[in-house]
Amino acid sequence: MPLSERLSAMREAVRAGAHHHYRHDDTPDIAAEAAARGLTWAQRAALRTVRMCAGEPPIIEPDQRIVFTRTQRRVPPLYTPDDWAAFRATLDGDPSGEINNICADWGAVLDQGLLARRAQALATRARLAADPAAVEFLEAAVATIDSVLDLAARYAAEARRLGRNDLAAALDEAPANRPTSFHAALQALRLLQAVVWLSGHMHVGLGRLDQYLWPYLAADLAAGRLDWPGAEELLAEFFISLNRDSDLYPGVQVGDNGQSVMLGGVDRAGREAVNPLTWAALRVAGAVAMIDPKINLRVTPDTDHELLREASRLTRLGLGFPQYANDDQVIPGLVAFGYDWEDARDYTVAACWEFIIPGRGMEIVNVGAVSFPAAADAAIRAGLAAGDAGFQSILDRCEAEIRAQVHALIEPERRLILPPAPYFSVLMDGPLATGRDLSAGLKYNNFGLHGAGCAAGADALQAIHELVYDQRTLAPGDLLAALDADFEGYESLRTRLRETVTKVGNNDDDADAQLVWLFERFAAACAAEGDNGRGGRIRPGTGTAMFYVWLARGRAGLREPVVGATADGRHVGDLFGANLAPTPGVTVRGPLSTLQTFAKIPYDQIVNGGPVTLELADNVFRGDEALDKVALLVRAFAQVGCQQMQINTVNLATLEDAQRHPEQHRHLIVRVWGWSGYFVELDPVYQEHVMSRHRHGL
Amino acid sequence: MRGIVFDIIEFAVHDGPGLRTTVFLKGCPLRCSWCHNPEGLHPAPQILTSPAGERLAGRVWEASELAALLNRQGDLLRPNGGGVTFSGGEPLAQYEFLLAVLARLDHLDVVLDTSGYALPEVYAEVVSRCALIYQDLKLVDPAAHVRWTGADNAWILANIAQLPRLGVPFVLRVPLVPTVTDTPLNLRAIARLADGLDGLLRVDLLPYHRAAGGKYRACGMDFVPDYPEDAPLNLDLSPFDDLGVPVRLAGESYDAPL
Ligand code: SF4
Repeated sequence: MPLSERLSAMREAVRAGAHHHYRHDDTPDIAAEAAARGLTWAQRAALRTVRMCAGEPPIIEPDQRIVFTRTQRRVPPLYTPDDWAAFRATLDGDPSGEINNICADWGAVLDQGLLARRAQALATRARLAADPAAVEFLEAAVATIDSVLDLAARYAAEARRLGRNDLAAALDEAPANRPTSFHAALQALRLLQAVVWLSGHMHVGLGRLDQYLWPYLAADLAAGRLDWPGAEELLAEFFISLNRDSDLYPGVQVGDNGQSVMLGGVDRAGREAVNPLTWAALRVAGAVAMIDPKINLRVTPDTDHELLREASRLTRLGLGFPQYANDDQVIPGLVAFGYDWEDARDYTVAACWEFIIPGRGMEIVNVGAVSFPAAADAAIRAGLAAGDAGFQSILDRCEAEIRAQVHALIEPERRLILPPAPYFSVLMDGPLATGRDLSAGLKYNNFGLHGAGCAAGADALQAIHELVYDQRTLAPGDLLAALDADFEGYESLRTRLRETVTKVGNNDDDADAQLVWLFERFAAACAAEGDNGRGGRIRPGTGTAMFYVWLARGRAGLREPVVGATADGRHVGDLFGANLAPTPGVTVRGPLSTLQTFAKIPYDQIVNGGPVTLELADNVFRGDEALDKVALLVRAFAQVGCQQMQINTVNLATLEDAQRHPEQHRHLIVRVWGWSGYFVELDPVYQEHVMSRHRHGL
Repeated sequence: MRGIVFDIIEFAVHDGPGLRTTVFLKGCPLRCSWCHNPEGLHPAPQILTSPAGERLAGRVWEASELAALLNRQGDLLRPNGGGVTFSGGEPLAQYEFLLAVLARLDHLDVVLDTSGYALPEVYAEVVSRCALIYQDLKLVDPAAHVRWTGADNAWILANIAQLPRLGVPFVLRVPLVPTVTDTPLNLRAIARLADGLDGLLRVDLLPYHRAAGGKYRACGMDFVPDYPEDAPLNLDLSPFDDLGVPVRLAGESYDAPL
């Protein structure tokens, strides 16, 4: 579907920031007001949502059918620095930043409407009248509900004033009550989600959009109120609206904002759940071709070839999504970790790839990263210096390093205190019934740890295994000296390490055995931590996030260890592969072998997510059958038993030109680590990594 | 049994149906002026030098070792309508090695991508073990064939003629080289030759892309096209359409990225 003229113009205007003139820095002073009124932490959080909503004047542009324009650029703090220091001293634990990177129960909130949620909050308040903490939370929650209803009412009034009666009607009914149209559902979702951002939360995902919106669309279609072109036009406008404030959403880079959508899969009962909206969302995402929302698609070896073909069109556009998740691995993996089947079947992803359950998870999926290269390197250097007689001693040391890293990351987090989040609590399953804020936990409260640089770590171990202990052709002293010198003066040794030792990514059983071993030990180290202090455990994963850069180059305040030159022949500062990928510059046979390698990871123990990252040259897409071939590759990914995958396609020459002439490539989108961003808006180090992934051979 | 392979490409999307891995056998008896694979011409391994450094093109493989590697991918190739393609160079130039590999493949469909320049009995023996043949046909006129490829086309034409009897489906693949192979005369001759051949799936016309001169330099060779590289291609399909010969222009219907 091509975008209509109206939406093409809207897309251009959003990219050009035409709406930025509405923005200002005149944010309400929550800290001062709260101090004057003597408010508690939770009350302050509610006050912020209330004031931020009140501070948004209704803005309705003539061409808009889905409205909300954020005008307040900044979200104010709840305390002055001094008040915060004083308050913090009273806390028995370490407060974290605002809750982020979880997924609301959007479907239930839309279905019930905020008024029903309000009534539930009041009923619970009556029941728990003797529990001051519950009363405080529920009153805070009701205040935030009222502020969203007020915001919707003011938008409705403005729409009416402008003679936009359809829009006014949509805003009248939802989010207060269950929407009676697809339009009203999208409009309600837009407001509900925007207020999460206004409340100071980040990485606000949209979950299983095709599942919870389909009933509204289906009813419209069945009643003849809407046709498919009309539906796609609405969805496209909604998608464009998600991009209006991407530049305001904090992340490591612009685009890292976690507005993910999960499509397809099965329902909570295990029935096939692909519906016509699944298809439409793929089509519309391709037509809109912006960085948000980030599309994920659930697949199995039996997924309809035509659906995979449709998804491959997005890949061909170079959007860096969809990212694929394999239900056959993810769901049993989550169940093995302790999730109920119904919930496991309902999974979506957090910002990038971490599997979470909408409405039921208060998981902290990104507590930190274990550096496999650092663990291997410390073991190798210490073991060789001590004259370890066998490779097993190196492995034992490496295991101890992994345990120590995991423990060092987790131990301080046991004292974690999450800030109250009354509005976000309204959108989750449970808090309004129990009278406990989201920050106190939900059904699932696990921590996630990334396992970063797995290929480089395994390659280093394999080099020692092969050359030092197996062939005995490399003297430990020579290797240690070479590592200390960053291979200066040891070029031939480096070439040997680089080119003759088998490497992860080639479906080579020897190198892959090191990879599997690393993940097994990682899983064991996480399990050994037991309870995380919040009634959850530690989920190990295969993602890297930005750690493929940070663990190689260091960064102020980084808790994780930074590594120098490594025994796989890697120079100081060379970046690691992002997520599951061979180390950059290593020769690999191709995507099939890479998938076969990463299929060996024990995904029944490794459930925090993190995709195999394949790079395809764009000439793959020459010719008629390209989409079929990419669809088959996705099927192969599921058949071979990998868990998650993203496919990037890009033309190196285009990227080089974009570095030289950024103004001519404003719309060029690339996949970075778990999200897509505009190439020209990335820091050079991330641009360089994207480009290096595509520089192969001659 | 040993052979020399200069590349193995997984997820080869232009070399046959389904998910597919292509093995490039080194060495070719022809010298087409437009050849895009100069590193595939010489039968022995050689070192390529480029600004990116040195690379060894060509490695000796045991037939059993190569077959084992390919069989390890069988679980992905087989259920996805694919298999293995042998290309080159000219794969039949190492036909004994090729036969030894084929004999060891575990139920993998094989596509043979060949110039057809081989003894007819060799050709028949290999072809009969394949599922699909990508048969090149450059020029029908023998003198022109010698002029542009350095080889006579008598074997090639004889081998095409025996394809219907061998009972293996095939595609005729015509590289369209400006003013050389894209002439109306040559295309008409190819259409007439193809007309009525049992087992012919279609004729693929492969439009000329400017050769990577850098690849030639890396091989220590000069690329001196003795035809006008920039001349517009004759893409007139009517010689085929007139006879009802199914024809396809490869690389069509690509919606360009943003
Ligand atoms: S037959 Fe193929 S490989 Fe051989 S010279 Fe001609 S184009 Fe090159």
